[in-house]
Amino acid sequence: MRKILQDTCILAALMILAVFTCSIIWSGITAEIGLVLLLFGLALIITVVNFLFDEFLNLPIIVSYIIKYFVFTGIVMLFGFIAGWFFPSNFWMAFIYVGIVLVLAYAVDAFKVKKDIDYINGHIKKPESPE
Amino acid sequence: MQIVTRQTEGKPLTVTIEYPEYTESVRGLIKRIKSLDLSFSAFTDERQVRIALSDVYYLENVERKVFLYTKGDVFRLDASMAEIDKITEDSDLVRISRTCVMNTSHLTGIRQLKNSHLEATLDNGERLIVSRKYLHDIKRRF
Repeated sequence: MRKILQDTCILAALMILAVFTCSIIWSGITAEIGLVLLLFGLALIITVVNFLFDEFLNLPIIVSYIIKYFVFTGIVMLFGFIAGWFFPSNFWMAFIYVGIVLVLAYAVDAFKVKKDIDYINGHIKKPESPE
Repeated sequence: MQIVTRQTEGKPLTVTIEYPEYTESVRGLIKRIKSLDLSFSAFTDERQVRIALSDVYYLENVERKVFLYTKGDVFRLDASMAEIDKITEDSDLVRISRTCVMNTSHLTGIRQLKNSHLEATLDNGERLIVSRKYLHDIKRRF
């Protein structure tokens, strides 16, 4: 199931890039294409920051997600202001968007960690089958 | 899979692998057997010693110096963590944090602490902090 979801996301990203590349060639960068390119750019920045965060800081999972929440919200806000996404009155929506994504990410991460620990411990304790 | 063993006096230890088709699992098996022959050239005081991979418990990078830990001893190693990663690919050694590589053959368990840090316990009682980022790599070794 996980592999199917992973492949679906990769395929969707490739389809978007392929379709938009053709559109850019035919009609230049339209507002929709610009938005998608900006989202890809934002995703790249967040992924790099997340990688550096995980690589250099070893914090408890909850503390890590709380810090990430404020850092990523800051990045989204800054990016949003530069890209002109936010009206001055609704920039705080970034807190909601980032919050929703991070709550989901935290749930998946916590579940995956528990599953991986159970798998590893299960295989360590597994007795060798007699020859 | 059949396992055939026989004693051949006067000859070096030889492992012969027969396979109907060269698959990914055959490749993995060959790499794993090759890794059993790995050893490290380490230093203790001014003396140089060779330490078999199976005797290594973990390696740790402390202030750009790599130390190798066996069951009860500590040695200094002239290698970077990147070099160690390359040498020990497909062996039982696996990165568990930015500064530490652990031998999974000495692992007795992993648990999540109350502060949600992860802790690995080795068969000599040593406890190591595991970064969540590397948990999946440890899983892949089993």
